[in-house]
Amino acid sequence: MVGTLAVVVALVLSACGKSVTSGTGGGGSAAGTPAEKVYQQLNALPADQQRAKAIEQAKKEGTLELYTSLTDDLVASVKEAFEQQTGVKMNVFRAASETVLQRTLQESSANRTGNDAIETNFGEMGLLSKQGVLADYRGASFGSVPESGRFPGWLADRLNIMLPAWNTKLIKAGQEPRSWEDLADPRFKGKLTLELTDSDWYENVTKSWLRHGKTQAQVDDLWQKMVANANVAKGHTVMAELLGAGQTAVDGMNYSYITQNTAKKGAPVAYRSADGIAHTIGFARPQGVSMMKGAKHPAAAWLFNDWMLNEGQKLLVSLGLTPSAKVPGDNSLQGVTLEPYDVQGLTQDSKTWDDRYDRLLRGLKQIGGD
Amino acid sequence: MAMASAPKRPALALRPAGRWLAAVARELATPRTLVVGGVLVIVGYLAVVPLVYLLHDTFTGPGGLSIDAFTRAYTANSQAGRMMINSLEFAVGSGALALGIGTLLAYVQVRTDAPLKGLFFAASLVPLIIPGILYAAAWIFLADPRIGLINVVLFQPILGHGLFNTFSMWGMIWVQGLHLAPIAFLLMGAAFRSMDPALEEAALMAGAPRRLLLRRITMPLVRPAIVSAILLMFVQSLESFEVPGLLGLQNGIYVFTSRIYFVLRQFPIDYGAAGAYALGLLAFAVAGVAASGWLSRNARNYQTVTGKAFRPRPMELGRARLLVGALVVLFFAVAVVLPVAVLVYTSLLKFYSAPSLDSVRTMSLANYRTVLHMPLATTALRNSVLLGVGAATVVMFLTAVASWVVVRTRAMGRRLLDVVAFTPLVVPGLVLGLALSFVYLRTALPIYGTLWILLIAYSTRYLPYGMRYASSAMSQTSGELEESAHVCGASWWQTFRRVLLPLASSGILAGWVYILVVSFRELSSSILLYSPGKEVLSILIWEQFENGQFTTLAAIGVCMVAILVLLVLVAYRLGARFGVDDSSR
Repeated sequence: MVGTLAVVVALVLSACGKSVTSGTGGGGSAAGTPAEKVYQQLNALPADQQRAKAIEQAKKEGTLELYTSLTDDLVASVKEAFEQQTGVKMNVFRAASETVLQRTLQESSANRTGNDAIETNFGEMGLLSKQGVLADYRGASFGSVPESGRFPGWLADRLNIMLPAWNTKLIKAGQEPRSWEDLADPRFKGKLTLELTDSDWYENVTKSWLRHGKTQAQVDDLWQKMVANANVAKGHTVMAELLGAGQTAVDGMNYSYITQNTAKKGAPVAYRSADGIAHTIGFARPQGVSMMKGAKHPAAAWLFNDWMLNEGQKLLVSLGLTPSAKVPGDNSLQGVTLEPYDVQGLTQDSKTWDDRYDRLLRGLKQIGGD
Repeated sequence: MAMASAPKRPALALRPAGRWLAAVARELATPRTLVVGGVLVIVGYLAVVPLVYLLHDTFTGPGGLSIDAFTRAYTANSQAGRMMINSLEFAVGSGALALGIGTLLAYVQVRTDAPLKGLFFAASLVPLIIPGILYAAAWIFLADPRIGLINVVLFQPILGHGLFNTFSMWGMIWVQGLHLAPIAFLLMGAAFRSMDPALEEAALMAGAPRRLLLRRITMPLVRPAIVSAILLMFVQSLESFEVPGLLGLQNGIYVFTSRIYFVLRQFPIDYGAAGAYALGLLAFAVAGVAASGWLSRNARNYQTVTGKAFRPRPMELGRARLLVGALVVLFFAVAVVLPVAVLVYTSLLKFYSAPSLDSVRTMSLANYRTVLHMPLATTALRNSVLLGVGAATVVMFLTAVASWVVVRTRAMGRRLLDVVAFTPLVVPGLVLGLALSFVYLRTALPIYGTLWILLIAYSTRYLPYGMRYASSAMSQTSGELEESAHVCGASWWQTFRRVLLPLASSGILAGWVYILVVSFRELSSSILLYSPGKEVLSILIWEQFENGQFTTLAAIGVCMVAILVLLVLVAYRLGARFGVDDSSR
């Protein structure tokens, strides 16, 4: 028996001879994968011919395989609209952004890319781009993406707006938080909920405070007070649901579209004051879309990017989201003032901020400064 | 032919070594060796792959072998001491609560003439069926200090504030303990059922009082099952994420699993630190296995299913019958009716709010319509049933044989087999998912992206549970029955199939039901391994939770409870036909 086990162990060890998870070498090693050639051909066509050619080829390829972290209800609408408007069938793997990342990295490190296109969060897109598995879309819809939404390997298709949210039955008009500093106010003692993984929000608020003249000591003090007011929850949509149920009175930060969609169901929640203005200055985190270098259905991948940055943008508006392109009728930013999201800082070093935010929530003394 | 002719030519080349080899080959070719050998290889393979993966990631750094991961995980700002104490408190507390409730219920149901036995079935299985996330969410709606129904309705009018707080260590223990009690109930029920009451009756005749009887006769006789139950629940509490994740984080009560979750979602992902925490869990669990081995030494003493016929006779409760009945009703109300009622209530709303005239006015069946029209609902249901039945059958067959090796034979390394089959319990589901996708992405076999990879994942995850159920059943069955079968000329396979399995069937069926039910809940490894078209119910539920659709989620939960209760009923009816004691009904 021991012998059998030893043999099994030896077999497994030899199978895992190389690095198991650390070295994810990126699927598209050579400069021109077959998929990349298709992308280049489509990009090179005159703008008015691209779409027709892509649809024709995508139909021959059969289906589009998409990995995304868009929530379930949104994915359903995207799938329906895409299939209807292009005639190309779409299969979706939907999961939390970190799972989408894990799966994509695992598959590309084994050179078995399972998806053609991807749509997920800022941090994950940046990481995948660093691994060299994403290809640049440069088709006709590229022009609609604003400068600030163009990144190496991917493009922003929507924005998540970070703002405080509150229960309008539990917080009287005028008492709601009107700035990030307000969240540290004693009036929210025991009434505030913070999300476990919002370290990028923590980074943005911290740097914004420092930019506007606060000292590190003042910043640390504000955070300590805010945490002293707060409980911690996991998941923004869950937070919004519990906010509506009155379990908590204020969400320190939630994405405005989640608050808005919860309010649409009839729950007493809001991120704008009675005057229609969100007095806290928000941050807009870009969420991205891209194509895989190792895609098995490259024309379908290209088509999805082209569609998402064009017709898809209007669909996002109808779903209550904030598109990255300017779309007539989009009032998701009405009454909202934004500061730029710290793309550079978080691309370079998100881990330090993850750790610091984690320590903060666990009530550990901050190590001041950066 | 060759074998037959060999002895005729001794002079030719059959030197002693050759003869020895031939003898070994003959020995190896028996069905017994083939089945046992095959099972051991499969069990070893299933358990070892993720473990090797885990060890590899934990002990390698940029410069080769290193223990840096442990430094990162357990020193500096990790608050590791507090976290380990929390984990232990949580695991011991909920294990004890579950064991107490489960054992009491099992005893009352199997061995007494208590009324309302029909309720036991629901009381013992429904909490098991409700996914952890949903059960925890239901308890938030029941015992949140501000909006919890129990607090709002019962205590706020009297005390001015809520009494229960589900976001505390006690709250976590309460929810987890209730959720685990069915495991204890299933294990202990099987043990009580296959216990020969002759010894109890003898003691009664000799004038021993009831309490002494329980302490000195009954409990020692079911000791293997108790030890198994404690071990399972202790480790499962250590390993569970839903309750610590949903209830613990609110007040910063971290345990191993919530730390692992946290570490695994950072960039770059620190697999090493996650592995170091997982190995910490493993250390606790191995200590548990060792302790349970020590507690169930002298296993022969507990063999109560012997060659003698016996018919467990229910104990007459007399005047206590009413009291016991009331207690059962109370438990049923708290563990089943309240959470399910909250789920049913929630499933009728548009968004969760405490009961009021307003909320009653908005009630509708819209969420059930949504569930019925979910394009994935039928696919997911079919896949879940296939996987649940498949994993339960595979695991119980494997573990029936493996536990026979551990309990019955003196084979070298049988203790190791016990430990090996136990290790998957502490490999976090997410790590298991990573390990399996790593392996099967690199094999030519068409496993990745199919239901097979999920079947392998489930069979691996539930191996330890199967092992506990099977080995506690095996250790209650006396070896003399096998010997009789052997003397009568039965082959090993016949003995195993016709004697051992039927005798241990009560425990094995309990294990089968348990695995079927928990397979429906499995989430953390499925989430990485499923592919479009291969969705399972737990994924659907998690999606609804992630999307904050509590009301749709509740509707799915209610449907799931209904379906599983039906499946389990069918299993017990079928089981009864194949000779399982039917006193459970």
